[in-house]
Amino acid sequence: MRFTSANAAFLMLGPIAFFVLFFLAPFGLLIAESFMRPQGGVTLSNYISVLSDGYYWNALINTLLISLWVTVVSFLLGYPLAYFIVFHVRRPWGRRLIYVLLMTPLFTSNIVRAFGWIVILGRRGIVNSSLLALGLINTPLDILYGKLSIIIGLAYILLPIMALSICSVLQTVDRSLIEAARDLGARPSRAFIAVTFPLSLPGVVAGSIIVFALSVSAYVIPSILSGGREMVMPILIFQQYAATFRPDIGATLSVVLLAVTLLLIGSYLILFERRLRAVG
Amino acid sequence: MTLDVVVVDSLVKRYGPVTALAGVSLAVRRGEFIALLGPSGCGKTTLLRAVAGFVEPTSGEIRINGRPMRGVPPNLRPVNTVFQQFALFPHMTASENIAFGPRRQRLSPAEIHGRVRDALAMVGLEGLGARYPRELSGGQQQRVALARAIVNRPEVLLLDEPLGALDLKLRKRMQVELKRLHQQLGMTFLFVTHDQEEALAMADRIAVMREGVIVQLGSGAQIYRNPATRYVADFIGEANLITCQVDASGAVQITPNGPGGPYRMPANGTQQVSLMVRPESVRLGCGAGADHVALPATLKDKAFVGSTYRLYLVLADGQEIAAEPGCGREVDELAPGAAVWVHWHKDAARLLED
Repeated sequence: MRFTSANAAFLMLGPIAFFVLFFLAPFGLLIAESFMRPQGGVTLSNYISVLSDGYYWNALINTLLISLWVTVVSFLLGYPLAYFIVFHVRRPWGRRLIYVLLMTPLFTSNIVRAFGWIVILGRRGIVNSSLLALGLINTPLDILYGKLSIIIGLAYILLPIMALSICSVLQTVDRSLIEAARDLGARPSRAFIAVTFPLSLPGVVAGSIIVFALSVSAYVIPSILSGGREMVMPILIFQQYAATFRPDIGATLSVVLLAVTLLLIGSYLILFERRLRAVG
Repeated sequence: MTLDVVVVDSLVKRYGPVTALAGVSLAVRRGEFIALLGPSGCGKTTLLRAVAGFVEPTSGEIRINGRPMRGVPPNLRPVNTVFQQFALFPHMTASENIAFGPRRQRLSPAEIHGRVRDALAMVGLEGLGARYPRELSGGQQQRVALARAIVNRPEVLLLDEPLGALDLKLRKRMQVELKRLHQQLGMTFLFVTHDQEEALAMADRIAVMREGVIVQLGSGAQIYRNPATRYVADFIGEANLITCQVDASGAVQITPNGPGGPYRMPANGTQQVSLMVRPESVRLGCGAGADHVALPATLKDKAFVGSTYRLYLVLADGQEIAAEPGCGREVDELAPGAAVWVHWHKDAARLLED
């Protein structure tokens, strides 16, 4: 059976209504707010004050840097994991079990998991006490409450998303292509570099975009694991609404963050566009 | 012996309880075109993959140019494969696909360029090197796959049902081209197929496989005329297989209570044999002389197939046979139910033990 375009439009009504009501409308209000004076009237002054303030820039760069690292780390850990699941777990039930194990942490609260990292990374945490006991260090390392702990915390939460995204594409890579590469004289490592990896790029790209976007907008993990020492945009934005009562600045910061993120993701996609087109 | 480029020696491959190869031996002569023929699951692809290095045999040995191949990975074997679904790299152009092998051999860029150009010309794809596989038709993709393999000048070219993905017309054309390429290159071809026509059309020798063993090896004509078993007769070409009784004297009776036929079995106690006769050998009429076997039959059905009629006949004992007696007027006028006589020259039939 084929859907006529009228039928299709009818089916799309629900999603479109949802999108307009709960995303487009509030988003429009947010943009409007960013161009408004607290006492009323249109202005660019919010943007001027945000963009001329080093403190905001600092938070923005901090956020992007942390998100970049989270993306890199979850790729570096997620790719081998996905490769292992797809190429070395032969039994279907084994694969299913690993998928479930990967998903299980997503069912628990981020807050609980962030506190878990405090237990592990703290001055008297498992990492430091083991290193001390082994005599590898003399004074506890300052891992917790910094960029590193935020990156670890976020990468840990977002790793399954990266791994599953890569898995879904890696699974579709035709095994006979890898055999063809071997047949034509490629060592296993060369076959991976020349064939398997390029063909799995769509999964890597999709995974990195999701992980990057979720890192940029993450609030809970940074606020618990920063210990107040690191400022990221979501915390800053929250403060504008909840502490300093400057919704106009909060809205401006949100728009700036969104614009910069879209710009980065856009250039990332353009960078890979030619390769992705060849693969897809 | 120096002529044999590939020697397969009692090769066995088991997957758990399943035996894919049950002791295959085969010597491929240099420059020969051999077809491995059999239905799916007969082990022909496993044998090819064992030669390519993708399947490690359970026991037995493969030697290429006298060198044992056990433990030698696919990238170090002097063979190349044309895969069933072509297996072209989708993210590389046709030229890049073809250059993949020469690049691994670390040839100079000029040498690689020259070889790629020659290979493209060899398969008739000049000027299409910059296209991606998805921009090529099925036949063109097939040619790229061929070029990508022969550009490495392998000792043996392994072809895994390479024409299976093409439509009938293209398949016939590619058969001719493959054969031309084989003659032009003087390369050894080991070709896997389940299509007996394809094997007959192209191969110098055919290895008919069944359940992990080679049941007969020989030229197409040899196998067609002298099938070793009922299975081979049935698989290669069309065959009438008439079940016959052997009487005490060793005479073969084609129909019960009929006269002892002109065929005799060595007295080895066999009670029942099959008489194999090709439909094109079965003629209408009583025949002439003692060299012919003649039987009464009833016409059940007839079909016009272009160059001939195909007749479906029932013998006196109920067994059915097919005949292709050509397109004469006498055949034109036959109607189902007609009582006729059929005959064949006794040398046109073979006795096969069941």
